[in-house]
Order: sequence, then structure tokens, then C-alpha cells
Amino acid sequence: MTKPKELLEDAPGKTLLLLANEAIARGVLEAGVRLVALYPGTPSSEIGNNLTFMAPHIPNFYFEFSTNEKVALEVAGAAAVAGVRSMMVCKGPGLNVAADPFFSLAYVGVRGGMVIVVADDPSMWSSQNENDSRYYALMGNMPLMEPSDPAEAKSMLLEAYEFSEKVELPVLFRTTTRVNHTRAPVRFHEIRERPAQVEFEKEPYRFVPVPSVARLRHPWLLGQIAKAREISETSHLNFIEGTGDLGIITSGVAYTYVVEALDHLGMNAEILKLGITHPLPEQKLTDFLRMHERVVVVEELEPYLETHARRLAQLHRVEVDILGKEQGYFSRTMEYSPRIVIEALCKIADCNTCINWDEIDSRMKDMADLPPRPPLLCAGCPHRASYFAIRTATRGKAIYPSDIGCYTLSIAPPLETADILFDMGSSISTACGIAQVTGQDIVASVGDSTFFASVLPGLVNAVYNKHPVSLVVLDNRTTAMTGHQPHPGTGITGMQEQVEPLDVEDVAKGLGVKYVKTINPFDSLAGLVREVREMVKWVRENHEPAVLVSKAPCALLTAAEMRKTGEYPPRFYVDSDMCTACKRCLNRLSCPAMYLDSVTDKAVIDEPLCNYCGTCVAVCPQGAIKQEE
Amino acid sequence: MTSNTRNTTVINIAITGVGGQGVLTLAEILAKSALEDSHNVRVGEIHGMAQRGGHVVCTVRIGENAKGPIIDPGTAHLVVGFEPVETLREIHLISKGGLVIMNSHVQYPVVVSMGKAEYPSKEEIHDALTMHTAKIIEFNAIELANNAGNSLSMNIVMLGAILASGIVPIKKETALHVVQTTFPSKFVDVNTKAFELGYQAISDSL
Repeated sequence: MTKPKELLEDAPGKTLLLLANEAIARGVLEAGVRLVALYPGTPSSEIGNNLTFMAPHIPNFYFEFSTNEKVALEVAGAAAVAGVRSMMVCKGPGLNVAADPFFSLAYVGVRGGMVIVVADDPSMWSSQNENDSRYYALMGNMPLMEPSDPAEAKSMLLEAYEFSEKVELPVLFRTTTRVNHTRAPVRFHEIRERPAQVEFEKEPYRFVPVPSVARLRHPWLLGQIAKAREISETSHLNFIEGTGDLGIITSGVAYTYVVEALDHLGMNAEILKLGITHPLPEQKLTDFLRMHERVVVVEELEPYLETHARRLAQLHRVEVDILGKEQGYFSRTMEYSPRIVIEALCKIADCNTCINWDEIDSRMKDMADLPPRPPLLCAGCPHRASYFAIRTATRGKAIYPSDIGCYTLSIAPPLETADILFDMGSSISTACGIAQVTGQDIVASVGDSTFFASVLPGLVNAVYNKHPVSLVVLDNRTTAMTGHQPHPGTGITGMQEQVEPLDVEDVAKGLGVKYVKTINPFDSLAGLVREVREMVKWVRENHEPAVLVSKAPCALLTAAEMRKTGEYPPRFYVDSDMCTACKRCLNRLSCPAMYLDSVTDKAVIDEPLCNYCGTCVAVCPQGAIKQEE
Repeated sequence: MTSNTRNTTVINIAITGVGGQGVLTLAEILAKSALEDSHNVRVGEIHGMAQRGGHVVCTVRIGENAKGPIIDPGTAHLVVGFEPVETLREIHLISKGGLVIMNSHVQYPVVVSMGKAEYPSKEEIHDALTMHTAKIIEFNAIELANNAGNSLSMNIVMLGAILASGIVPIKKETALHVVQTTFPSKFVDVNTKAFELGYQAISDSL
């Protein structure tokens, strides 16, 4: 509800309740960032969602939703090379997509400050893995910062730009879900001006890393990291607080859990809180290890700090017990909580807490039988009709490579049309691999945003190498899963300008696909089934790829439009006289707006939840689902 | 072994429900009100996958010592449930003597609609909740929201209920003011009514 307009206010001293993502969007203004490029990915999505509506009101500012993360990093990286401050934002897996330019960018360095925000997702709330992106900083030799909360997300961002300019390197700014999606009071500071234009000064023997240049740049990079380490040694972002025999090293959101755990236990400890986690302040860290007999390392995911602490202790012959993941005090999976820290500290300090968690856990065991409520395709979602048709046309016997978006939810019964998934764009390429080694029909599916982001090279591959695969592009006119961002098929830019949209059908044809059709999944369910069947048959006969575009807007967009205009179509209802309680509608569609009446056992449409797609009408064998005249 | 604990001054409120019911909005409004009354506050949210009609839980933590967003099991002073089974799913968060405010209106999960799982009976839910706390207030918030003029105002009914519980250090006028200034003006009447109906329902039950 915090509006982009509020984030634009030139009101130093004002305090607002902000998500860290909103604080970062505000930080873009305060740091005088000239260009931001990103591809949306939760938990980082709200950064772009705010910037896109702020952008038209900020003088000398450019924002774009790039087609994917690699493109975004190249766009933002080049702007920083040209000499302005820039930013690229992605989720953890997004940095994998951008890995290629990432490493080169460190070699060539930047002239204007640059920050790469990467949002990791411990517990995988909305990601396919919980990779620890901090290792990118280590591997690529890029400075790394980790804020702990929304206020620090903004204040540290401003320092990241200063740091970046001092060492001429981008800074990797690593957040986690519990930082991105925490709201806290954040204080505004002054807005910094941005230059309208800069002159690109040519320096090809720096910015074109052909082998002879790269060989010189690598030692340069190591030298810059040595300089960065000196800054890290004295930076107030790496601070010590509290006193006690026990030492605790921590970073990121885990720091807040440590503070709360000590508070809860009434325990004293000296905390070394690290904001700059590459290059580490090795002297400060070694001195800290020397001052304690026992040091606990509290960090989510991989033992990154822990391994460094052990390395430094060995290198400098420090006698200290370093306690962390290696001895099993902490886990390498899932996000932490104050409880996890409290229980580990109790084990280490031999004390206990006033909350009997074992008892609570055992009471909850009886509740394991609660009916689950996983996320689902929304009521009125066009993908439901598409997947119903794909499954019906192939009688559930084809292989269904999936991709990344809302539609991955089709993994669940009764649709069950997701069989293999690696990453963004893998639908088409995994389909090719399976096609070559099996004789089975293959119907892959992908959304429109992912199609533009990552499917194009795979589709060219399928055409050129003649892979017999069917691809359904579920074109719901938006990037739905991450919060409805525009993409090249929508006709809206990150600057909120209207442009000519790219058409999926034209693009597929342009890439050489011979069989391309576009249909509306709400036109006729039987027609949809026929189209899928025809495509699969064509692929079998012609032994090359075919594309079917199933095009209808996201149900949430349609519902929002109806709420805005107040105009609703006639409602759908189940004629209970005709309903035989066969449950076909419920069992084949699993629509959240339908349920069984507990008394009559007949199907009912929950009116406030229904989004008027009408897909259920054709699924009922009795014709009992009707629309009012 | 020594028992080594001290009381902290943080008020923990967990809000649990189904994606689309307005759980996130309630958490933000509640926290904005706390900030307006000069309290430190943290809100924990989960976005993305969790929102697609699935189970959603949000945390609001008010007080100087609130640093992170997480509420541990056994530490919530108040659990606000938008739906019975979703209340039960998060009941481990409630502290000894903590209060549960629950909307009694059932929204079936799809597995139940499909007949693949059973929804527990009213009695089963009540018994399971009382294993964790004796203080449970159950009321039909969706009915009150409908009475206010819009079923979507259920989260504001719940806000009124939270304020009436006296657990949060927020002035009633502050919360009402935040509600009235946060949403478009055409919703002011419905939301004000929803707030008062929720407030009244809990005041009557206490």
C-alpha cells in the first residue's frame, strides 16, 4: 500500500513503514542512481514494481524491465562503465542467468558506482533452489554487502555506491527473503541529483577483455580487492557490540535473531556483525577470534563466514573453538529464527529457555492431518483451461516439460502437467532432450514473459535441429507470478510508455517454426482440446516443432478491471436440480471457487470467488452449470 | 542446567488466513497505526507462491526490542485467524494465556472440495485450539463485513477486533484514521462501519 508517490517525496527526516524492497527503491533516489535494469523475481520484485511507477517522475532517470537478467546486467553494467551510477536487481537464480557478464564486469570494472542487488530465498518460499549467492562474490572477486533489515538496506545501499566508486568495482548487495519482505520504519534522506548525460570515454584496452587485456585485468582486480579489504577493515558496517566471554560472528537477517536470542536468554556475548562480507576485514576478524575461547558463527545457508573464520584461525595460529554448521549446531538448509539461535546457544552454554518447544511441537504433531492449502491457479485462470485441454488431448500420456511461472502450479492434481523443470526457459530445451531419446509425445508449456526471457534460443535450437516437440505458450499478457510486470509482449515499458508489443506468434514464425497458431482458451474447451490434438499429430507427422499460443489475460487483471469499472458479466451457477453430484467439475478443474455443499453433496459456485471464466460449464456432463441470462 | 530468561517488551501478533483474504493488508495497516503512535514495529510477510489462494501467515511485532520479523512458537500474544483451519495451522505460535480471535466462516481448501480430504468439525477445531490456549473468541467476521457493505472489508472487521482486544498499544482513533486515509475515499464508509462492527463484536465477548 505504500505508494510509489510516497517514495518520491523530497522529505528528509520523514519516517515511513517500508519493505526493504521499497527502501531500496527509495535508496535509488537518494544515491542518485541514473539507470536501473532488472528482470522481476521474487523476493526482489517490489523494487521494480515501485521504480517503474516512480521512473516517469524522476528527472534524468531510466528504468527498464529487461528481457532477462543477463541483458539487465549488461545494460546496467555498461551505464556504470560509461560513468553514471547504475543498478541491476535479480533473485538468486537470476544471478545464475547473469553469471557470464558478472565475471567480466569485475575484470573491466566500472567508472560510476554500481550495485547488483541479489535476493536469495532461504526456505525457497518462491524459488527452485536456496543457493547462497555470497559465493559469487568470492568466485568473481566482487565486493559483497549484506543488510540485516529495511533501514539498513537503504543506508548500506548509499555506502555501497561510495564503496563501488572507491574501488571501481560493482558491489554485490545480497539480501534474503526475510530482509526483502520485512516492513520496518525507514527514515528518508536527501535526494541526490543525477547527470543528464555523460561522455563515453573510449578505453578499449580496459573494457574489451580479449585474452591479452584480461591477463592484465585479473591482477588489477586482485589489487582492487586488496584495497577494498583495507576499507572493510575500518568500515563501521563491520562492527562489534555487546560484551561477554562468548563471541558471535553473524551477518544479514541472522544478526537480528542473535540480538533477540540474547535478549530472550538474558545472555551476554560479544557480537561481530559483518555488513561487508567480501572482502572480509581479516585483521578485525582474527583479532576477534583471539579475544574469545569460543566463537559461534550464525549465518543462514552455507558456512561462508564459518569457513573463513576457520581459515583465518589456522593461518594465524589462533586457539579458538569455532562453533557452527560443521559441528551440527546450525543447519545448511532453510531460514533461521530466533528459536533456532536460542536452541543452539542453549546447547553451547548449557542452559534452557522458558518456552517448552518440545511440548508445543508434540501438540502440533496431531495436526499433521489438517487438509493442506497449497497455492493454486486462481479462479478464472486461463491456464486451467489450457492445461485441462493439454491433458485431455493427450490423455495424460504425453511428457509435459514445464517452465517458471504461475503455471508450474499445474504440477498438482488434477491437472498434473509438469514433469520436468530446471530453470527459466528449460521447457523447450528439456523437451528437445526427451524427444531425442524417447518415442513419447511431448507437450511443453511456458508463459509469455518466460518465452521472451529465455525460450528464444531453445526454440531456435528446436527448429534448426528438427526436434519433434509441441510448445504451448500460455500468453496471459503479463509477468503474473511476480506481480504483473510488463514484458516485451505487453506494449508497456518500465518507463510506463506505450510501445509496439512483440507478438509471440510472429516471433515464433520469425524463428522458423512452421506450425504456429493462436487461440483463446476461453472460446471453446472442446475446440482447445482439438487444437492440441491436431498440433501433436502434426509434430508426429512432420518431425519438427510446433507452437500453439493460448492467449487470454491473467484472471487477476480481469478481476481488477471488473472491480474498477463495476461491470460484471452475468453470474455462473450450478442448477442443483440438474447436478447429479458426480464431482467431475471439482475433480477435473480444482477451481478454488467451487465446492461441494455439505448437505446436498452437490457442486456450488462460491460467487465472491468466481472470476467468470466459464471453463466449468463445458466440463459438466449434465449441462448443470449455467450462466444467468 | 540453569534456566536463564527475562521478559521482553515486544507484543507479537500473528495473522493467518488464505491468500486473497486481505491478511497482508491488515498487517500493514496495523503496523502503520503502531508507527503512527510512535512505536517501533516489524512486519513479516511472504509474497509470491504463498499468495495464490494458499495459506498465508503474516507477523506484526510492536515494541523497542523487535528487531527481526519472526514470531517463534509459543510467543504470540494474539493470533488472528481469518479461517478456522488456517487458525489451527498456526496455533503453535500462541503464547501461554494468549488470545485467539477467529473468523468462524469456513473456506474449503480444494482438496476438501474435491472430496480428497476432510475438513475437521467445529468441535474438533475448538478442542485442538483449546489445547494451546483457553482464550478463544470466535465470530462470523464475513457476516459483519457483509453488513458493513462489502465482504472484502473482513480484514478491517478484524482490525476493529484486534483494537478491542486491548492487546496492542494503539489508540482506536489512530487505527481508524490510518484506515480512512489509506484506502480510496469511496471505501471510507464501508471500512469505518466494518471497523466498528469488529470492535463491537470483541468488546461484547470480553
